[in-house]
Amino acid sequence: MPNNLYVDPIEMRAAGKITFDDIPVNAYNKTVAEERSRYKDEDLVRIYRDITILREFESMLNSIKTQGMYNGVETTYPGPAHLSIGQEAAAVGQAYHLTKDDFNFGSHRSHSEILAKSLSCINKLSDEELMTIMENFIGGATLRSVEKMGPVNSVKELAIRFIVYGTLSEVFARKTGFHMGLGGSMHAFFLPFGVYPNNAIVGGSAPVATGAALYKRVNKKDGIVICNIGDGSLGCGPVWESFNFAAMDQLKMLWEDGVKGGLPVLFNVFNNSYGMGGQTRGETMAYDFLARIGAGITPNQMHAERIDGFNPLAVIDAMERKLALLRNGEGPVLLDTVTYRYSGHSTSDQNAYRAKEEIEAWREFDPIVTYRKSLVDAGVAADSSLEDILAETKERMTMICRHASDTTYSPYADMKADPAWVERLMFSNGKVESFGDAEPVVTGAKEDCSRVKQIADKCRSAFKDGKPVSKMKQFNIRDAIFEPLLDKYYTDSTLISYGEDVRDWGGAFAVYRGLPEVIPHTRLFNSPISEAAIVGSAVGYAMCGGRVVVELMYADFIGRAGDEIFNQMSKWQAMSAGILKMPIILRVSVGSKYGAQHSQDWTALCAHIPGLKVCFPATPWEAKGLMQSALNGTDPVVFFESQRIYDMGEMFKPEVPAEAYEIKFGDTNIVRTGDDVTILTVGAALYRAVKAADQLKEKFGLNAEVINLHSLVPLDYENIIKSVEKTGKVVLVSDACTRGSFLNDIANTITELCFDYLDAPVAVVGAKNWITPPFEFDEFFFPQESWILDAIHEKILPLKDYVPTQNYTEAEKLRTLREGV
Amino acid sequence: MAKPVIMPKAGITVESCIIGKWQKNVGDMVKVGDILFTYETDKAAFECESTEEGELLEIFYGDGEEVPCLVNVCAVGTKGDDVSALRPASGAAPAEAAEAAAPAVEEKKEESATAPAASASAPSADGLVRISPRAKGLAERSGVNYEGRTGTGPKGRIIEQDIRRFMLDKGAEAEEAAVAAPAAAASVPTPEFEDVKFSGIRRAISKSMIRSLSEAAQLTNHHTFDATAIQSYRAALKAAGDEYAGVTIGDMVLYAVSRTLLNHPDLNANMIGDDTIRHFKHVNLGVAVDTPRGLMVPTIFNADEKSLLEISREVKTLAEAARSGSISPDLLSGGSFTVSNLGSMGVEVFTPVINPPQTGILGVCTITQRVKEVGGEMKIYPAMGLSLTYDHRAVDGAPAARFMKELCANLEKITVLLAK
Repeated sequence: MPNNLYVDPIEMRAAGKITFDDIPVNAYNKTVAEERSRYKDEDLVRIYRDITILREFESMLNSIKTQGMYNGVETTYPGPAHLSIGQEAAAVGQAYHLTKDDFNFGSHRSHSEILAKSLSCINKLSDEELMTIMENFIGGATLRSVEKMGPVNSVKELAIRFIVYGTLSEVFARKTGFHMGLGGSMHAFFLPFGVYPNNAIVGGSAPVATGAALYKRVNKKDGIVICNIGDGSLGCGPVWESFNFAAMDQLKMLWEDGVKGGLPVLFNVFNNSYGMGGQTRGETMAYDFLARIGAGITPNQMHAERIDGFNPLAVIDAMERKLALLRNGEGPVLLDTVTYRYSGHSTSDQNAYRAKEEIEAWREFDPIVTYRKSLVDAGVAADSSLEDILAETKERMTMICRHASDTTYSPYADMKADPAWVERLMFSNGKVESFGDAEPVVTGAKEDCSRVKQIADKCRSAFKDGKPVSKMKQFNIRDAIFEPLLDKYYTDSTLISYGEDVRDWGGAFAVYRGLPEVIPHTRLFNSPISEAAIVGSAVGYAMCGGRVVVELMYADFIGRAGDEIFNQMSKWQAMSAGILKMPIILRVSVGSKYGAQHSQDWTALCAHIPGLKVCFPATPWEAKGLMQSALNGTDPVVFFESQRIYDMGEMFKPEVPAEAYEIKFGDTNIVRTGDDVTILTVGAALYRAVKAADQLKEKFGLNAEVINLHSLVPLDYENIIKSVEKTGKVVLVSDACTRGSFLNDIANTITELCFDYLDAPVAVVGAKNWITPPFEFDEFFFPQESWILDAIHEKILPLKDYVPTQNYTEAEKLRTLREGV
Repeated sequence: MAKPVIMPKAGITVESCIIGKWQKNVGDMVKVGDILFTYETDKAAFECESTEEGELLEIFYGDGEEVPCLVNVCAVGTKGDDVSALRPASGAAPAEAAEAAAPAVEEKKEESATAPAASASAPSADGLVRISPRAKGLAERSGVNYEGRTGTGPKGRIIEQDIRRFMLDKGAEAEEAAVAAPAAAASVPTPEFEDVKFSGIRRAISKSMIRSLSEAAQLTNHHTFDATAIQSYRAALKAAGDEYAGVTIGDMVLYAVSRTLLNHPDLNANMIGDDTIRHFKHVNLGVAVDTPRGLMVPTIFNADEKSLLEISREVKTLAEAARSGSISPDLLSGGSFTVSNLGSMGVEVFTPVINPPQTGILGVCTITQRVKEVGGEMKIYPAMGLSLTYDHRAVDGAPAARFMKELCANLEKITVLLAK
């Protein structure tokens, strides 16, 4: 809602019509003979060679999966083989002009894209560059294994063996694979050639690739980004979100000079007519021609066209034209690349959804036959020499298969000797002040930001001389989140932040208020209401080497970004064996007053997923320290905030330091010490727990120890155990619905570790297992201070003359569990 | 309208008191300030004055009953007034219920504030002994039998505070068991007797002493020293007159103990559970005082910082207060070591019993004439006896002997000690 963009009622209400340009369909019509002036013969032949390598690689996998054997090499593996046999010409044509600075992202069916892009890079790079890349990759481990296959007559041949072997041993889950086998077939990649991760989630690469393009744009990096997805993914919301995100108007209208223009990303759809077995055209989709949908996204129709993916030269031709557009800031581009896979979706596919005649009909146009014939017909090469190339490919593939199968040369990671191997990869736990080497782009000095001046006048404690300071004058949680973020904008040039209404509005809860005065659009912008694209693009941005803070406004919107948070943001560090870093902070805010779809604490969902750090600061001191720590870190953090307490000043520490400081993730905040009972809190429940502790003291002479957990993952139990050993009595409190709340996990751990010290079962006090009712009924749904006393009275230590407000009896618990409420 | 008179709170650590004897009967007219009844804590006795004027309409607790502090004890008003609203919830309960609640007196404040109705509930119907892991561990470490007992936790679960309570009851239980032994065969003349219920103080002494003997590993070392120096110093002070004339030999022993004890921290200490000892930074000297109601032990706090005269003065004040029953209960605890003097009654040697949770108690014995060889000649000298009982869990024999050796040496050169 930038106020310099005028929404003109005259224009908005004027009559007229929308017109479209024609969408080209298979417009390319040149023959090889006609193109001999455009390509050298050796290039035309190399295209054929690359197609054979791709075809042979997947034929090998097919043979292994179906017969346990390939060319006499007995081998097998339990993982998936989603093959793209038939689609090789499209992959080779796409890669022809790409360099290592261009990044391609793939799908679950992307072996060919990895190999084609790598072969293209091998052709373009010098021997020296290739040797450097291979020597430096995982300390040369993969190269050492490749060298054991025997001597080679050229570095390029060595590099071909390297790339095929690295991919295959990754598929085989070997330690010599490109990421030590932890990614496997559906998640393979090789960064030195700009080959970015495939993605096992259909359409999963769309937002990730968009984020990579965003990284290139913001940080002015060379190259463009290719997002390879299938026609089946056009049914996925995040793909459409990504189209729009990459093309949103502000990129051309509001972004600063030098970084203007649609994002440099090519959404290339390998249109093989099937999403697994579902037939897109005619059954599951409505577009008739896939290329049509570009016209629904942008006035330039995403420069969409249909091209013939069975003709490598048609693809190269289209890529030449599209690359020029992308480099010129005219992205994003959509390509409908028609192709066909002869192989099933997977090796267990019975092809029940298509006729044999259909497969046979497409075989007549199989590029490995037709393109070879066109080379011979045009006199580019003799058929015998092309046959030699095929033989050479088969021989090389057999050798690599034998080598990759042999555990002597291609061992598995030794999980027996090193059982903590994967564990160590879950978090990178790095500390990086800045991911960029450029001067951070800002539009003013930090001191010129009105918010900075306002904060300077605030009291950094809730009390002054023992008396409460007025709310307006307290340095609150909003300020505590703002302060380290502002600082980081001036130290890390890669840092960007976006989300819904974060700029002019300052975020729905005013955390970012003042930031637009000194931070340009490029680094702080309003995103479309596209939660999947927000988080998914952050994943791509971080993967490429940038730091990013994104906001989802309400925690309840996590559901809209489920895959991006739970499969992408969380898993790539470990799936890449530590090669990728994921410095993302995802801010989510737990609401109140806004009813069932805007008020839920979903910490448990995030804490359940391996690979995410999850924190929930409840005081300004915690908020600043945790935000600083997250901003200096290299791991994905889901940063929970609570709308109930944004305006809280610091009540437990003497003050919030003005200078930067970090709070270690996992530490706990003992806000009050006591000997009689321990109250552990998460989030805003802290303040109710403190009031309950006051009552315990005043009315029952009990000294409660109150400990607030900064983070749920990781969580250091040291203070908790010490406290429980002392008191023997524990109550856990948070605003999350009780069933499945992370508190139950903590309760279980305490019971396990402190069983002999417990004087009663660990009591969990959470919200009811209901929808969040209207705010008027808040006290009936969320834990109140009296509920804490109730739990102590009923479950731990009966309090004299106490009359509970809640029914915490065992019978009531059994009843609600039986009812599912 | 009838007004209540409540059981006063006799000290910050006092939670309940026992009514000694009613001085007024139902139907008597009382004025504000009239003595209604006497009451005692486990350590001192008091008189309760009426805070209301009118007819004594109803007495809620009788002689010997235990009443929680601040609870209504009786109603005063005009004949015919309704007193039902003033009756405490448990006021009409049988005496057994009051007894069952009695152990709460021994508990620290925090715990007693949480004692629920559950404490009076019967053992669980399913016969399951409910006990928390923490309580079970404590019971095993301290040898407390909880079988057949009911706890104060939810559903009668035995929790930590119950085991601590059972620990105090252990002695009483043993006595009950003895009483419950089968009676002798018939046809034996029935002896005449009167059962006198222990006063609060007697009961406290009973519990404390039995707990001391059952839990601590006690043994006693006996020493004597040459009392010539203290006797002559006592003579000099007597001659000096005024307050100085009141300084006794016993005061000098207290003084010497206060100056010697800090060199022996394990004796100036409390046992915390079975495996922790609390060393005190100062000497808080308990002084055993014989009173009409029984033994009381007021404390001279920070005795190590007080002069001989100050100690002498304070002992007299405390003893007088203890004997008259006006002493604050807060002065009857907190000791780090106790001195018990039976010397004036001619006791030559005795084995004092430790006042738990302290680790030592010094018995002061009488002075006898002894002979010793000095320069080849037999010389008669006044020998004074000291008996140290100590808890072997905390202190071994040799260190205990070293303490006594230093104490005796200090007493034999009292003037040097006073000069320090």
